[in-house]
Amino acid sequence: MRKYTPKKDVQAKSYYTDRFWVAPQVAKSPVESDATFSEDLAAIKEKFEVLDAYIQVDQMVVYINAKDNFDVIKLAKEDLAYTQMSELSAIDWLADKGQFEIFYQMLSMTKRKRIRIKCFIDEQEPILSVEKLFRSADWSEREMYDMYGVIVNGHPFMKRILMPDDWSGHPLRKTYPLIGDEAAAWYEVDKIFGKEARDVIGPEIRDTARIDRYDTERFSRLGHEVPHGAAIPEGEPKTPLAYQEDGGVFLIKKFHEDDSVIITDRDR
Amino acid sequence: MAQHQVNYTQDGGLPVALTTIDKVVNWGRSNSIWALTYGLACCGIEMMASGASRYDFDRYGTIFRASPRQSELMIVAGTLTKKHAEFIKRLYDQMPEPRWVISMGSCANTGGMFNTYATVQGVDRVIPVDLYLPGCAPRPETLQYGVMLLQKKIRASKAGKAQKPKRLM
Amino acid sequence: MQDTNRLRPFFENIAFDRDDNEVILNFGPQHPSAHGQLRLMLHLQQEQIVKAHPDVGYLHRGMEKMAENMIYNEFLPTTDRMDYIASSSNNYGFALAVEKLLDLEVPRRAKVIRMMLLETNRLMSHLFWLATTALDIGAMTVFLYAFREREYLMDLIEDYCGARLTHAAIRIGGVPLDLQDTFIADLKKFLEKLPANIKDYEDLLDTNRIWLMRMENVGVISTDMALSWGCTGPMLRASGVEWDIRKEEPYELYDEVDFDIPVSDKGDNYARYKVYMEEMRQSARILDQLIPMYYETTPELMAHAPKYISGSKLDIMTQNYSLMQHFVLVTQGMRPPVGEVYVATESPKGELGFYINSQGGPYPYKLKLRAPSFWHTGILTDLLPGHYIPDVVSIIGTTNIVFGEVDR
Repeated sequence: MRKYTPKKDVQAKSYYTDRFWVAPQVAKSPVESDATFSEDLAAIKEKFEVLDAYIQVDQMVVYINAKDNFDVIKLAKEDLAYTQMSELSAIDWLADKGQFEIFYQMLSMTKRKRIRIKCFIDEQEPILSVEKLFRSADWSEREMYDMYGVIVNGHPFMKRILMPDDWSGHPLRKTYPLIGDEAAAWYEVDKIFGKEARDVIGPEIRDTARIDRYDTERFSRLGHEVPHGAAIPEGEPKTPLAYQEDGGVFLIKKFHEDDSVIITDRDR
Repeated sequence: MAQHQVNYTQDGGLPVALTTIDKVVNWGRSNSIWALTYGLACCGIEMMASGASRYDFDRYGTIFRASPRQSELMIVAGTLTKKHAEFIKRLYDQMPEPRWVISMGSCANTGGMFNTYATVQGVDRVIPVDLYLPGCAPRPETLQYGVMLLQKKIRASKAGKAQKPKRLM
Repeated sequence: MQDTNRLRPFFENIAFDRDDNEVILNFGPQHPSAHGQLRLMLHLQQEQIVKAHPDVGYLHRGMEKMAENMIYNEFLPTTDRMDYIASSSNNYGFALAVEKLLDLEVPRRAKVIRMMLLETNRLMSHLFWLATTALDIGAMTVFLYAFREREYLMDLIEDYCGARLTHAAIRIGGVPLDLQDTFIADLKKFLEKLPANIKDYEDLLDTNRIWLMRMENVGVISTDMALSWGCTGPMLRASGVEWDIRKEEPYELYDEVDFDIPVSDKGDNYARYKVYMEEMRQSARILDQLIPMYYETTPELMAHAPKYISGSKLDIMTQNYSLMQHFVLVTQGMRPPVGEVYVATESPKGELGFYINSQGGPYPYKLKLRAPSFWHTGILTDLLPGHYIPDVVSIIGTTNIVFGEVDR
């Protein structure tokens, strides 16, 4: 029987987990333990619904509704002095919840604080662009679309950024395998030589430990080169490595291996 | 006007060296390999280092050119991604013959540590390669040795003939 | 033509039937002065750029995807290949993020060695920046001089970890090795010479007429623009914001050493050049202070956390339980607690952040690399219009972008 592998998440999995193992948690502290953060949270809570908020590793995490994302970030930027958006991306929870988690990592230089604003959206649900507030979101949102297929509304130039325009699939989704799908495997061959060249060029060699004993021309067989296709069931003949060609170079004396001296006496 | 009479049989011999066309042409070719700057990633930095002060590539007559039309050696230094593959083929096609390719570093040889969806698993899927340099990143010394091996290969080839089509994979 | 292929020429340049004067210039993706694989589509009115469209992704190698399929220690050498000019700073960013997740305390000697590596890497990166930017602008001499000094630094690093470019010299929980016997002496020798070398570069460039023409009032980034585009590091400091993570959110022992943050309010290429030069001096100053600090520490290199970090070589070789634990940590990987962390460090290019979401497994559920160069490339969209073609090269030069980091 073939081993069952879940199709919704094809990433590497731990092959053994103890039955009684319980994952520990990174400590979360309440927002009230920090004066600056509790003020910020109060300001956000005044106008918007906050689903959850806590402090983890010195940074405040605020969960909001996805529809409020633009307004909350506007508030954070203009009233709460979070003047830089360091990072913005998505996390793929499609296998578990059918949702993406979007996080906005923000920095206030005057308060020296960082907060992370998070929200959940469904797979096909668009999210409003924050490019009007932070130009840095321009490229981040394009990357998010490229890598996850999250649709961003109100973005001036919604195109793929890292992958080519004619790429299929969104690489960072958990359903996308690390070494790519069929289209990815033949992408460059199809584009340059056409589909009919697939047979000539052959599939990609993804086995990192593979050594083709009969192909000494291409890789890592210095000193054992044989013509391509030659039969070597009895072992390859050794080709002595010479640093100079026969006949020699003008003014340069050829070094013969027979002239070499092996020094055995260490004190010589 | 003074007439100079030189007795070639006595005064140091004829000012003539006898050789074959192959040797002369290959001597010139192998000692002035102009390389296309094809730094793609980390190896490109080591390629620059081999051109810079300490390792000084000019000693070999290897000068980096920024145009494929002036160069005969392409040192593919770094990871070739699927998005870029098309361009390496374009630039390779623009190089005049005879031309050679050194694939520098594990990524260019086989995809290296980047066994992912976005990386071409070896530049030899796209262009024919003459020499593979192992390492991640190879040291400048490795590249220098590679160029010396290439010189050797050039000297061993026939100068007049058109290059045989090289095998792709 | 040796192989037939179906590539057709690009026709975007041949736009004769346009009614305006606009010419579209394709710059890259393999351009010698683009510092990597940057492709710029420039819309030109005569020599002036009216619209710039940077196209990145030519070095996208899928590092974030790799991270999701690798145990934490396995991913560490991959971070070397991000900003490959200063590899250790990436190692450090990742190691620090995982340490924050695990809540580990690193021994003091490891901290000192890490800081030495970080500052050496900063010097290497800035020297490389100076060399390439000067070369792009035509100052071949400075290129050769700066590379000469960089080679000394690479020798130092090589003495420490054995690699020139891709160091993997910092581990999660500390550093693998103590300094070589000769390291400090060599470092001292280098630091003695460095100020004179920096002065040499400045003598060559500071008042050089060509340099000034290419640098002054070219590529002016206003403070608002820098903040809005998420610029960090020297790009931000040259635009008048005094923000250095080493100073503001100190990690390691940066709060114990004495150094200044160079700031300029001009925001042009020349300001960035001066900031880089001054930062080199400050790095040398930090290194000077680290040497006595090194001798005051006890020779402990790795944090003690048997759940996550393997024991010392001696323990592994002599004690059964250390060996078993090492075996489990290598084959299965450590399992950090469930949670998420975003840690920013000041890499030579700017704020290098690692966002790690751990679900308690040996593989990160999500790892996001926040690389400064990504936004420093993005800003070209707004920065280049209005400039002339020759300015493009000097602007790309001073933004100091590295494509391993932009595309990841």
